[in-house]
This record gives sequence, structure tokens and C-alpha cells, in this order.
Amino acid sequence: MTESIITIDGVSKSYPGGPEGRFRAVDEVSLTFEPGEVTAILGPNGAGKTTLIDIILGLNQPDSGTITVLGGTPRNAVRTGGIGALLQTGGLLPDLTVKETVHIIAALLPDHVPVSDVMEMAGLNEISSRAVGKCSGGQQQRVKFALALLPKPHIIILDEPTAGMDVSARHEFWDQMRATAVSGTTVLFATHYLEEAEQFARRTVLMHQGRVIADGPTDEVRTQAGAAHVSVIWEATASDIQSVPEVDSYDVQGHQVRFRTDDADAVARYLLTQTSARGITVKPASLEEAFMQLIPQRHKVGGAD
Amino acid sequence: MNIMTYIAMDFWRNLRNFGNSFFIIVLPTALFLFFGVSTDWNDAMLPNGTGNVSAYTMVGIAVYGAATATTSLAGSAAVELQQGWGRQLALTSMSHGMFIAAKSIIALVMAAFPVVLIYLVGLFTITQMTPGRWFSTAMLTVLASVPFALYGLMIGLAFRSDAAVGAASGALVIFGFLGNNFFPLEGILLEIGRFTPMYGMTALARYPLTDGQIVATGDSGMVGSDPLWILLISITVWSAVFAIGCILLQSRRTARR
Repeated sequence: MTESIITIDGVSKSYPGGPEGRFRAVDEVSLTFEPGEVTAILGPNGAGKTTLIDIILGLNQPDSGTITVLGGTPRNAVRTGGIGALLQTGGLLPDLTVKETVHIIAALLPDHVPVSDVMEMAGLNEISSRAVGKCSGGQQQRVKFALALLPKPHIIILDEPTAGMDVSARHEFWDQMRATAVSGTTVLFATHYLEEAEQFARRTVLMHQGRVIADGPTDEVRTQAGAAHVSVIWEATASDIQSVPEVDSYDVQGHQVRFRTDDADAVARYLLTQTSARGITVKPASLEEAFMQLIPQRHKVGGAD
Repeated sequence: MNIMTYIAMDFWRNLRNFGNSFFIIVLPTALFLFFGVSTDWNDAMLPNGTGNVSAYTMVGIAVYGAATATTSLAGSAAVELQQGWGRQLALTSMSHGMFIAAKSIIALVMAAFPVVLIYLVGLFTITQMTPGRWFSTAMLTVLASVPFALYGLMIGLAFRSDAAVGAASGALVIFGFLGNNFFPLEGILLEIGRFTPMYGMTALARYPLTDGQIVATGDSGMVGSDPLWILLISITVWSAVFAIGCILLQSRRTARR
């Protein structure tokens, strides 16, 4: 059993506001992260991802609960250069150039990767003398990424790192991330791009309204919600369709019948052996559906809350 | 960690900002050339013989320049912190106390900049004072600019925008006019001006030159005097007003979070 690199135990944080006078941004969250783990924290806006990240970075203090990072307080982990982070709302100074920005932050760290190496890693060389205020959103994210790599951290935390990037920039970003993460760095990233969690994180933590509603290997989180879709071409009557086992729901469009099921094997076996259905495809449900499935029902029904 | 690198880079960033440097360095120096050098009354000696009128004008304009520097730097430091750069800095080894210390050094060096420049212009043109007074008025000028850091901070906390801080620095021209910084006031304007923030600080910086006497234009010579204790009360009251403003704004901000 390896020792956890981050331990969060019963952490809550609330702000004034909301119907009960307090809005619980983070509600009794307990999580541990092991060295080298790559984890996605997934959730819609307002799920509490940024507040949780701020608490891990010591930028915000929990109302209750404890948090240990690299065996000490978050602030201590930051001060010793143990954590590097790309902040979603962290601003850059618009009138510094890209290179100056990296230099000025490097000067404030106890130890850092050489500035030229970081510039290379984050792909900043061709824009090094451009003022940050004149950089595109994606370029600014790359500058922030360079700042996250700078302290040579054990833990890298990325809060919506690819916000404002187009698809190809996002892929390029994650390729760079993968290249730097091989050295056993623990990576924690918040995102609302489901495919980023699916492609880059072995573990996914789903958050909704301040709570962790699912946590596990990304594949499992996806299947936890049930789910796969089995589609076939089938000239079937309503009673034919209703006799298919293990079906949660279905829809019919012409001869195309689509079943949603927790047991795709059983459905596929039945369809292929007992009926005339053909052209079968089986597709696991997306993380988004898993997400919708896991959100307690009352939140999905408008006005019930 | 190398805090000097941070200070040097941040100083250079502020210096090359044209909006800042124009009001801090270019405008005061130009004002001094207009009001303190090129007009003929500046050659006249002050009634008490400690220096000439140019020296009197020089100190007033240098106070204005130094106050503009501290206002603009303290204000933009507050805006910087609130716009998220503070979060980035919070991910380094630099503590909040070190940030304040670093910014104070930058603001004081920036405040000294127009003072040194204007004094050099004075030295090489027509300004006359005894050597000790060159030194003591320069020191007091930089010191007098410190309360304006609280003024800038207050504006930065209240409006959270660089434009507001720029406007606040610009508004110092009015305080400077009422504070007797640019040319001697008389009558009702002087009576009003005495209660404005820059008046006490400017009169303190000029104290080695005037012993508190208020200089007027033309033949009227001295039109009154300000005892040192009144100047100190004025400075204390205005510093307290700005400091309380900062505290109230800061607690409003913390309560919201």
C-alpha cells in the first residue's frame, strides 16, 4: 500500500447565499490520491470543482474537515514547490511578455526547472516576447501550464486547462501533458469535457452540488450508470420489443430499435438468437449519460428542488 | 527564491507603462519647467532667504510627482491582487508580507524617481537652496508621498480596475492645485485648500525652506503661517481617513467571500 499523496477527509466549505442562507460549495468530501495517479474531476459549472482545488492548493480554507498534501499543510506543499497548478481564474499580468511572466514566477520559487526548458515544454518559444495581453486564450493557457511545470512539482493540478482552446490545441496540450506526466507526477484535473476524462484519466471523480457522486476507474464510473446502448434493425411489434429482457428503456425510429440496458450481453444474445433482428451495434454509454444517471433524480426534475 | 529579481522586473514593468510614467515623471518635470524655471519671478529669493522661489515651486511639484507614483503603484497592486495575479503569486514561496514589502520598495523607488529628476533639473537651472535643504526637502517629499499609497490602495480596493486607479492618479492634479503645489494660492482658495489631502504633506516637505510661512505671489510676500503641529494633524487625519477606507473596503470584500 503506497502512502497517499493527498488526503481529503470530510471537507466542507460554504458561502453566504442560497435558499438556506448558506450555499454549500463543497459538502463533506473525502478523497485520497496516490502518487502517479491521473484523475479527472468532472462536473458541471458550480459543482464545487474549483473550490475543492482551491482548498487543495491552500488558496481557500475549509470550514470543517482536514486536508493533508505531501504529508503537511497545502500551504507548505506550495511553498516548497511540491505542487504546480494551472488556475482557471488565475490572472496573468497583461503587460508582461510571455517570457517575463515565466521569469518573474521562477524568481519566486525555491527551485525551478530552467526557464528555457519550460518554455520549450509548453511550446512558448515562438511567442516568448509577445505581451500576455495580446495572446489568445489558448496561448495564455499554455503560459499558465508553463507556470504549473516550473516548480518541478510532485503534483500538478489543472483547473479546466483546455478552456478556450480549439480541438487541435486541446489534443496538442494533452500530448504535452502526457509527455511530462510519465515521470510519475500525480495529476489532478478538473474538466467538463467528458472525452478528456475518458482519454486521459484512469480515475474519474464525479462531482455535483458539492458532493462526490461517483469515484473510481473511469471505465467503471461509466458502466456504473448502467449502461450501454444496443441498436438493431428489426421489424418488430410493440409486444416483441417488450419481451426483450434486461431493458431499461428503448426507442424506435422506423426499423431502427435502440435499447438502453445494464446487461448488453443478455440483450444482444436474445436479439440475435430469438428474433430476426440484424445489424447489431453495442455502444457503451458516454460519461455524460453516466453523469446524468448518477445525479439524484430530484435534481433532474425541474422545480422539485 | 530571488525577491530582488521580482522587484526589478516589476519595477521595469511599471516604468515602461506609458500611462504611469507620463503622470509620474514626464508631467511633473514639464510642470516644473513651466512654473519653476522659465518664469522670471523664480529667481527672486524667498523672504526668509533660505532659497529662491524656484526651490519653493520645485518641492511642491516633486511632492505631486511622488504622490502620483505611490497612488498609482499601490492602487494597481490592489487591482493586480484582486484580478487573479494574486492567486498566481499565492502558488509561489512569496508570502503576503513579502509581497507588501516588495511593492513598498517599488513604490518608494518610483516615488523617488520624479524627485531626483526634478531636483537635477533644478540643480542645473536656476534653483537655489543651501545643500542641507536640498537633502531634507527631498527626503520629506518622498515621505510625504507615503499616505497617498493608502489613497491609491483605497481606490484600487473600491473599484478593482486600472482605469479607476488611473483616474485617481489624474485627480491628484486637482489636489495638487488646492494643496498649493503648483503656484501660490491666496484668499478663499487657500482657505479651502488647507483642508485638502495634499496641503499638509506639501507644506511639511517645504518646511525646511519656509519654517511654515505661506508664500504668496507679487509683493504680498508671506500671507500667513502653518505651525508644524497643524500640518502633522492634517497629515494624520487624511492618513486615517484613507486607512479606515481601506479597512472598510477590505472587510466588505472578506464578508462577501
